[in-house]
Amino acid sequence: MKDAATIENYLRGLSKALRALPDRDRDDIVAEIRAHLEHRTGEGKLAEAIKSLGAPDACARSFIEEMKIQTAFADGGAVKTFGALLTLASRRVTATAGLFVSLVFFLLAAGFAFTGLAEIVAPDKAGLWVGPDSGSIMIGTFDTPATPDTPLPPGAPEPPREILGRWLIPFAAGMSVLFFVIGQISSRLFIRLMMRRKSPTAI
Amino acid sequence: MDVETWKSQLRKGAAELAVLALLETEAKSGIGLLDALELRPEIGLSDGSIYPMLNRLEREGRIEGRWRTPAGGGRGQKLYALTADGRAALKSMRAAWLGFRDELTMIVGEKK
Repeated sequence: MKDAATIENYLRGLSKALRALPDRDRDDIVAEIRAHLEHRTGEGKLAEAIKSLGAPDACARSFIEEMKIQTAFADGGAVKTFGALLTLASRRVTATAGLFVSLVFFLLAAGFAFTGLAEIVAPDKAGLWVGPDSGSIMIGTFDTPATPDTPLPPGAPEPPREILGRWLIPFAAGMSVLFFVIGQISSRLFIRLMMRRKSPTAI
Repeated sequence: MDVETWKSQLRKGAAELAVLALLETEAKSGIGLLDALELRPEIGLSDGSIYPMLNRLEREGRIEGRWRTPAGGGRGQKLYALTADGRAALKSMRAAWLGFRDELTMIVGEKK
């Protein structure tokens, strides 16, 4: 009777810890662990079995990590791969590195997309600017137009010159897509790396 | 030197090969596999590690799990069998392992 309560208690914790998985996968895992624990109870080894499985959270984690990595790899989409890296980042160094690298590329993609949209909405505040002397290049949006409407006071430095005009829209769109694809590829590469490291072992 | 860490590295991959090989001739449950490996502690599989591995192998399509209830009733169990992909993987892994073992043995030598 006490063993039955111990098993139910363990399975309740396991089911709760597996809630990130689809119902069918979760129920299957819980049913199999139940069969395992009941079998071990028959052998008088319930305590050893629970000790070997680990706490419900730890037991669930090994299933979830495997499934997240595989689902992300099979799906290949930016959302699932990035989501998997995000979930695993706190526990796996490879995922942390992958999250950082992918995030940089996705932010660049978002930045270019925003700049392209800004060129449509407020063309005077967005552009690809080139400094008059140093040749420095800036791209993005600015609160104050770099090319003022009013004449410059004598001696004032010449403002940067915007060189792309409306071509900024296709340029920003292209760069946004490029960085998005690079971000997606990099997140997939890190997921693949984790699969390689993880796949041979379950020890 | 930390031999346990080195052994843990050595076991990587070996456990998967052992499981696939044990399923080659007949379907087995997680308990059945653990029982078969009970006298092989160096393989390193335990109650806690076998089910995530079986779960992964099943999702990779190398094994197929089916629930079976004994004819006379009683506790059901999930039995795993190799799929065609699993058999092909086992064949490749076995050839790779045998080559690796032979070459390493030539370098390291037999037990002295």
